[in-house]
Amino acid sequence: MNTILTVRDLGVEFWVGDEWFTAAEGVNYELRAGEVLAIVGESGSGKSQTSMSLMGLLPRNGRATGSARLGDRELIGASEAELRRVRGNEISIIFQEPMTALNPVYTVGFQIVETLRVHTDLAPHAAKERALELMRLVEIPEPERRFGHYPHQLSGGQRQRIMIAQALACQPKLLIADEPTTALDVTVQAEILKLMRELREKIDSGIILITHDMGVVADMADRILVMKRGKVVEHGTAQEIFTDPKDDYTKQLLAAVPHLGASFSAAEAQEAAQAQEDDSAVLVGGVFAGVTEDASGPAIPLESNELFLHDSVRGTPSTTPALELKGASIEYPKQGRGPAFRAAHAVDLRIEGGEVVGLVGESGSGKTTIGRAAVGLLPVVEGTLEIDGTDIARLNRKRLRELRTRISIVFQDPGSSLNPRLPVGESIGEPLFLHEGLKGAALSARVESLLDSVELPRSMRNRYPHELSGGQRQRIGIARSLALDPMLLIADEPTSALDVSVQVRVLELFRQLQEEKGFACLFISHDLAVVEMLSAKIAVMRHGYLLELGSPREIISTPQHPYTQRLLAAVPVPDPEEQRRRRTARDALLEQEQTVS
Amino acid sequence: MIRFILRRMLASAAILLVLTFAVYHLLDFAMDYFFDLRASTSPNIDQLFESRRRLLNLDTPVTLRYFDWLAGVGGCFIGQCDLGTAWVSGQEVTSQLQGAIANTVKLVTAATLISIVMGVLIGVISALRQYTGFDYVITFVSFLLYSLPVFWVAVLLKQYGAIEFNNFLNNPVVSWPVVIVFAVIAGLFWMGAIGGDARRRVIVFASATVVTFAVTAYVLLTGWLESPRIGLIGTALVSAGFAVAVTFASTGLRNRRALAAALITVVVGLLLYMPLQNLFYYVEMNIPAMLGLLLIALVIGAAIGIALRGPDRSASARTGALTALLMSIVVFCDRVLQEWDRYVAMPQINNRPIATIGAATPNLQADFWMGMLDSFTHLLLPSIALILISFALYTRYERASMLEVMNQDYIRTARAKGLTERTVVMRHGLRNALIPVTSVMAVDIVTLIGGAVITETIFGWSGMGKLFIDSMNRNELDPVMAYILITGLLAIAATLLADFLYGLLDPRIRVTS
Amino acid sequence: MTTFIPGPRGQGAEQPGDSQDSIETKDIAGLSQGQIVLRRFLRHKGALVGLITIACIALFCYSAVGVGPIPGWWQYNHYSSNPVLNPQGAPTMSLPAWLGGDGFAIGQHPFGQDDIGRDNFARVMKGTQISLMVMVVIGVVGLVIGSVIGALAGFYRGWLDNVLMRITDGFIILPTLVVGAILGKMVGGASAIALALALGLILWPTLARLVRGEFLGLREREFVDAARVTGASDLRIMLKHMFPNSMGVIIVNTSLLMAQAIVLETALSFLGFGITSPDVSLGQLINEYQSSFATRPWLFWWPGLFIIVIALCINFVGDGLRDAFDPRQKRVPSKRVMDRAARRNAKTAGDAAGKGAAS
Repeated sequence: MNTILTVRDLGVEFWVGDEWFTAAEGVNYELRAGEVLAIVGESGSGKSQTSMSLMGLLPRNGRATGSARLGDRELIGASEAELRRVRGNEISIIFQEPMTALNPVYTVGFQIVETLRVHTDLAPHAAKERALELMRLVEIPEPERRFGHYPHQLSGGQRQRIMIAQALACQPKLLIADEPTTALDVTVQAEILKLMRELREKIDSGIILITHDMGVVADMADRILVMKRGKVVEHGTAQEIFTDPKDDYTKQLLAAVPHLGASFSAAEAQEAAQAQEDDSAVLVGGVFAGVTEDASGPAIPLESNELFLHDSVRGTPSTTPALELKGASIEYPKQGRGPAFRAAHAVDLRIEGGEVVGLVGESGSGKTTIGRAAVGLLPVVEGTLEIDGTDIARLNRKRLRELRTRISIVFQDPGSSLNPRLPVGESIGEPLFLHEGLKGAALSARVESLLDSVELPRSMRNRYPHELSGGQRQRIGIARSLALDPMLLIADEPTSALDVSVQVRVLELFRQLQEEKGFACLFISHDLAVVEMLSAKIAVMRHGYLLELGSPREIISTPQHPYTQRLLAAVPVPDPEEQRRRRTARDALLEQEQTVS
Repeated sequence: MIRFILRRMLASAAILLVLTFAVYHLLDFAMDYFFDLRASTSPNIDQLFESRRRLLNLDTPVTLRYFDWLAGVGGCFIGQCDLGTAWVSGQEVTSQLQGAIANTVKLVTAATLISIVMGVLIGVISALRQYTGFDYVITFVSFLLYSLPVFWVAVLLKQYGAIEFNNFLNNPVVSWPVVIVFAVIAGLFWMGAIGGDARRRVIVFASATVVTFAVTAYVLLTGWLESPRIGLIGTALVSAGFAVAVTFASTGLRNRRALAAALITVVVGLLLYMPLQNLFYYVEMNIPAMLGLLLIALVIGAAIGIALRGPDRSASARTGALTALLMSIVVFCDRVLQEWDRYVAMPQINNRPIATIGAATPNLQADFWMGMLDSFTHLLLPSIALILISFALYTRYERASMLEVMNQDYIRTARAKGLTERTVVMRHGLRNALIPVTSVMAVDIVTLIGGAVITETIFGWSGMGKLFIDSMNRNELDPVMAYILITGLLAIAATLLADFLYGLLDPRIRVTS
Repeated sequence: MTTFIPGPRGQGAEQPGDSQDSIETKDIAGLSQGQIVLRRFLRHKGALVGLITIACIALFCYSAVGVGPIPGWWQYNHYSSNPVLNPQGAPTMSLPAWLGGDGFAIGQHPFGQDDIGRDNFARVMKGTQISLMVMVVIGVVGLVIGSVIGALAGFYRGWLDNVLMRITDGFIILPTLVVGAILGKMVGGASAIALALALGLILWPTLARLVRGEFLGLREREFVDAARVTGASDLRIMLKHMFPNSMGVIIVNTSLLMAQAIVLETALSFLGFGITSPDVSLGQLINEYQSSFATRPWLFWWPGLFIIVIALCINFVGDGLRDAFDPRQKRVPSKRVMDRAARRNAKTAGDAAGKGAAS
């Protein structure tokens, strides 16, 4: 295989304040045609910037040093005109956020044609033909119709396909994929990854895959470059890095990735699966991965919105639950002329005192809606929502205020959930001030003990949110939610905005606190592996309906609803070998659904 | 879309109704209907008061009078407008309004169009040159313009733009140092606007300075100012310049077909120059005829673009049509300027062409062309006064909007595709940066209507604004209410226009509604 | 200009690891929100000059002719006639010799006198006082009404929002000058304060719209939800959580509103519907003297100059505030400046590169 890109001692610097800050330095690698090089690292590692510098697309205050040769052409320090000929033609790029990366005022067809026509002499109709061909290549349904659509009329996955079609338009030698699936749901992610893998065989270009997701890496990469704070800490083949990491940071990174099926033994799961009537399910490492190739269709149709209850959750306990939804439907009230939007339909869900229930689903599934309704931020329009035996809708203002001392919530975005104008100590102390009327020294003492409990130094109470890192802010959010010692805590994707190494520490802290204080918890997440780490039960939602409920083992190794199966099969695991087996089983699953439908 | 517009119109009508109701009551409270009688020592003073009260129907409660007035307005729907009477002069308001509306609309439209074009242009350049000397100067100038009180500018313009400039025209002597300074400033402007590395800056500066100096010197030395004209050669030069500029902006000079289309359009235009002069000479022209000719020109330009074939027929056609449009304007100006000598020599003008009073010279025996020239000389100063302020607003706004857009992800995508910077800016940047400007447009038009009150008063321009001030001073309620009604309607029309343009520019609105 | 390091978008949410600062925040590390705003404001030269100039003008005009019973240091007042010194009452102030004058002097009537010998300096100072006062009052009234209406509409939405916004639309349909003229006629030159209060009633809509937009955005923010879940009352949420976060918009737009206010007041006074004789304001002075422009231009130039300087300064202060409050506003110096500074640091940079190559 011939080398298409040679990077030597590449560095990136940014002008901040009054001096140059190094964002990356001493990066060396080579890329061969048809090879996928994954650059892995957490935020701030400089993984994106080094790749952007290859195309000369650093922001105005950035500059690149060193050398990067595409074939025999030097890219660093090349003239603007020279770079223009390379961009889109020999190197092209797929960005993370397909909504903002496509121009909203032009049709997607035009945007593909535009790329073609800058670099080739194609006439408009020929370019259109070629664009349609590309749209077919990336499997856009009805390409003729989609050609004239604007980006906002397409779904996220389709937009990303358009981005890919546009990137492939001129058959580039090098394709840079900058977190291509981070903004997408896991099932869509699996489809895009599948597409990219297939394309890779067809187009024979080198691919640089920039990502923080070890699962995606395991699924795609031939070789891996691990970066930390602007430096390459380890470089090797995928096999080497995953099975025998040398650098401490790499080890730590791999260890931090939540692993599906970690809460039970694989053998136990295999046994349980065999106990089921249907033995066509394929388990990899105890985790449902798909079906065997000769499997018959699923027992439940994919479109079914019926709730499937596993054995472990059948029967009615006698104690008063911490949270109970009975046929609860929840609506976003109408705004202006837009009608009210029903985000959850007749949901039945029960959380016992001191129990952690995980709620998973993709975007738009209504999982956040349930969390918000449970703390009274959204109204229940049908059915009931009871907290500790009291129907929340029937309470008057005063009783509701009392109830509020017993429930609390941790939000997803730690940047947005703290008032930027208040020192964090005041944010933590607000519930104490409002409900217990604490002031002065008494308040200080309580705030400090709360900071202790989330393992933050007491001096931090006087800082403002923007002075803290993401992980620290989320700890503050947890401290605030625990201020009044609640009996029910809603955790709405509390770690999805954090880097994996930070996430693992926050989750550990969360588990300790839960054991210590014994509150019941509804843990909402899109990430099955994270939910599995903490929960006693897992509930799966789609389009506002609860589909399946069971223990982690039941859900993860013997899922019954086809949607849950698809969800599980789509999760990439951070192990190339395992992932390869999962892929085959998943393809069979999708195949089977196609033949059924 | 249609339902949306209908709903908007209905809501606007309701707002206007409430607004007129409130203003009517306020005005009734503010007006002193007896201002001329208060100082009177006439023995029958009580009688005078009484008859005034009867004349204005003051014994009827004000709310009833309002509905009376409203009924008159409602008559407009069935062709029987009754907007009341200006009681001091006894004139019908409808007759007072005749001409006034047109005059104000003319003024405001001219000012809006020119300030949008200039403001957007300068704003975009300023944004692209952010944090350079050029940007700082433009920012300072736009703040300065923004801070100028219209009335002060108008009085100054009257003094220097008209009186002094007319004196100058009669004896045009300019000191050379002034010309040189002017040329250097022009050189600096172009250098800052075009930018680039040191070498390019020096070249741009030098050539712009020399060209400006040469043109100014030519104008002064040949006495062009005393009898300005463009002529066939001038038309050819200016149009060719436009052709190149249009091609550069729309497709880039590398698109040879588009460039050819633009230049051929200019050649065809020049071939038609003499026939057109004959046509203008023998046939009395009017506005519809001019618009018809313009349409023909556009069709010719577009046809040339299409006839050249090639892969990008639409781009060539667009370039040809745009060139034809600009060239038609040049030919039109040329023809109007041919009247200059006769116009200046007219006894009513008496060698003082820049007018300070009114919208047209009274009793001027003028044909279409001289009439045009006459309106231009009258429009000049009041429009400048309005443009200066509104231009600053658009510049600031477009600059901010362009800065915002140029930081978007899709601009990065466009660059990553390998598009030229020109395409990135013009196609991906400008189009998006224009969207928010449409929403300022409605607000700005309302501000301009307010500004027109002042300019019309100072320049004696018999429009709506002057009517408003005069009637306020004479305590006449009905004309003021007519002013409120019509201004409100204009504002609503401007808002609808802005919404329409917004929908045109932004598919997200268009497709979903 | 924003200087995002062009990381993937989601990285905006994906925070740097514990204890690690990203490059973007390097230059603001360890500062409170207020300090950052102040620092950014002070870096804006135009705004700083504007602020100082306006403070000087205010100090100067109030001390020169005094306030109410307190006399100022200037010998003349704005209403009594004095013997005319120069022909036509031309200014006695002259420029220094190197600027082509007869040597620098202030003289008895530096800004000249009018036709009946009143001292123009005293009149301009008094006019500036009144105009500034009117401007501040309009600003305060507009600020209060605009913020309250905007906040209520944005916070409660629904029918209240509808009603309030339709009222705002009504105000925006008519030019402020026209409504101002009507109100000015109603108040009828009663007093400057009355006029200012009346004008404050019409200049709030822009601010109200912006505050509403800000509140609509803020009410979706999670910290507001967090406060609600804790059981904070609506009033507390608005005062403690939402207003402090809208301060940027409010302060910036109040400053712009004040720039608009001084232009409006002077225009109305010019048209005769604002401050009327014997009171003086800058616009009223220009109105009074516009016909004598050809003979006594100084009577026209000086008040005009003061209006422009005041409005210009406020606009600059507003621009500086906008930059200071906008977190995305970060300056990227031109290439030349970066290169120059880089050369200055060349040695250290060289060391770093050497280290980078070694690793």
